[in-house]
Amino acid sequence: MSAGPNSVVETFELARRRALRHQWLQSGLGLLVFSLILGVSFQRSQLFSSEIGGDPLGRIGEFLVRMTPSLHGEVLFESRSTPGSLASWYYDLPVWLAAIWQTIEMAIIATVLGSLGAVIASLLCASNLMPWRPVRFIVRRSLEVTRTMPDLVLALILVAAFGVGPLPGVITLSISTMGGLGKLFAEINEEVDPRQLEALDAAGAGTLNKIRYGVLPQVLPAYASYGLLRLEGNLAAAGALGIVGAGGIGLELQRAITYTEYNTYLAILILMVSMIFLIDLLSETIRHRLIRLDEGGQ
Amino acid sequence: MTLVAPGGDTAPPAVHSPWPGLIRGTFATAACLAALAAMMIDLKMAPETLLSGSSKLGRFIASMVPPSDGGDSLRILRSLAETFAMAVAGTALAIVAALPLGLLGAKTIVSNGMLHFLFRRCLDIFRGVPALVWALIFISAFGLGPFAGVVALAFADIPNLAKLFAETLENCDRGPVEGARASGVSKILEIRFGLVPQVAPVLASQCLYYLESNFRHAAVLGIVGAGGIGFELDERIRIFAFDQVAYIVLLYMLCVAALDFVSRQLRARLA
Repeated sequence: MSAGPNSVVETFELARRRALRHQWLQSGLGLLVFSLILGVSFQRSQLFSSEIGGDPLGRIGEFLVRMTPSLHGEVLFESRSTPGSLASWYYDLPVWLAAIWQTIEMAIIATVLGSLGAVIASLLCASNLMPWRPVRFIVRRSLEVTRTMPDLVLALILVAAFGVGPLPGVITLSISTMGGLGKLFAEINEEVDPRQLEALDAAGAGTLNKIRYGVLPQVLPAYASYGLLRLEGNLAAAGALGIVGAGGIGLELQRAITYTEYNTYLAILILMVSMIFLIDLLSETIRHRLIRLDEGGQ
Repeated sequence: MTLVAPGGDTAPPAVHSPWPGLIRGTFATAACLAALAAMMIDLKMAPETLLSGSSKLGRFIASMVPPSDGGDSLRILRSLAETFAMAVAGTALAIVAALPLGLLGAKTIVSNGMLHFLFRRCLDIFRGVPALVWALIFISAFGLGPFAGVVALAFADIPNLAKLFAETLENCDRGPVEGARASGVSKILEIRFGLVPQVAPVLASQCLYYLESNFRHAAVLGIVGAGGIGFELDERIRIFAFDQVAYIVLLYMLCVAALDFVSRQLRARLA
């Protein structure tokens, strides 16, 4: 230990400077790559391309103005034939409400069918219930594939097969619901209390009875709560699916755009958003009750 | 939910249900099933349409193997890159717009309860609108092309990101900020050393997550005409070239997996 206090300080300073330089270099490189990606992306996506006018914010603003309906305060509650009244803005309300109801039906049926599929799939790929590894592997991978496949691509193919209408939409949503919920349900299944399963084993119960009396009572509240959450997502998705011809309110949106009725588009959009909002509130209340049940309160 | 009776009572009725409960349960189940069946009939989900469609679908799937690139793999790769560019640009726009909104939505910054409630509800309302619905508007406004897609992605993300940002700001620890203030630094330095080191990694990981999800959404936007891979897919589905559809979908899934992997690595380093 011949090194004096001076050289200790020197080594420390040297190491510190090296570490700092290393850090600067690293963050500089990261920044460079980041800005390169960002720049190329902006260039490729024509955000500031001059051929459509440059000034993206101005164009968005101008368009939002075109979407607002021309309502006049004094004739607001007049009949449909008066321009400037609410009724003339919402001129096709019964049809739109029917389409919204169809969207809700699509979402409900798809959520129910998809959850049933997810329950079965999750029982097949939970490591504590399914002893055969290959089955678990195959089910897990196929669930993954259904999750990565974009909804709308599936919907397009199914529309080509089943024709325009709500049926392809329901099938699409069922499949994607099954993929999404199947994974969650499998995780829930793997976290059940093993003692109840062991008790049933000791009593000599078969697999089905074990699932019925050992697993389901433990997992059903969680299933239901995730299912309701999914229902909310499916409603928005069902609205969008109509755009490619899979039924529901999306079809009306598409029609409004084709006839460049921008304020009609806004009208339908408001209907759709309020539907999603209402159902969200409803399912939130139910979910909170379910969670309370799950925690043993009430 | 007759199955989830509270604690101590669960075990006996699970095996021997008393009559009233059994009858009520049966009625509830029957009513649910009837409602479901009525909805299916209302949507015209008849077995014969299902059957004829399935046979058609079977033919489609059969023609998917072997996947082929249709001799134009360069174009496909380029449109995949364009889709990624749309996702990056859309996420960047959304972040820029969501940061100030997130600041406004945080209870610790805007302490007026009424304002906070109204602002949050506003965000909630817009959170329900899917990117595709925005895309439809912007395409008819700005014409076909990736620009409309980028704006649509940004609009769909802004309320979500703003809510996440606001929650992150609300949940941060006040200690470091107060420590910085106690040492007598200026407001800017207080934010720089008290707030940013806490918040930045969380925000960055949320942004990466949205980049992933935007890549998925961007692929879909092309179907309504917003450029990228969705456009190519739509074209090929329309002419029933399902071998090429399969090729694109497989390639796309690979890209999604790769992006997920990279972003998971980055997020693990941030956390």
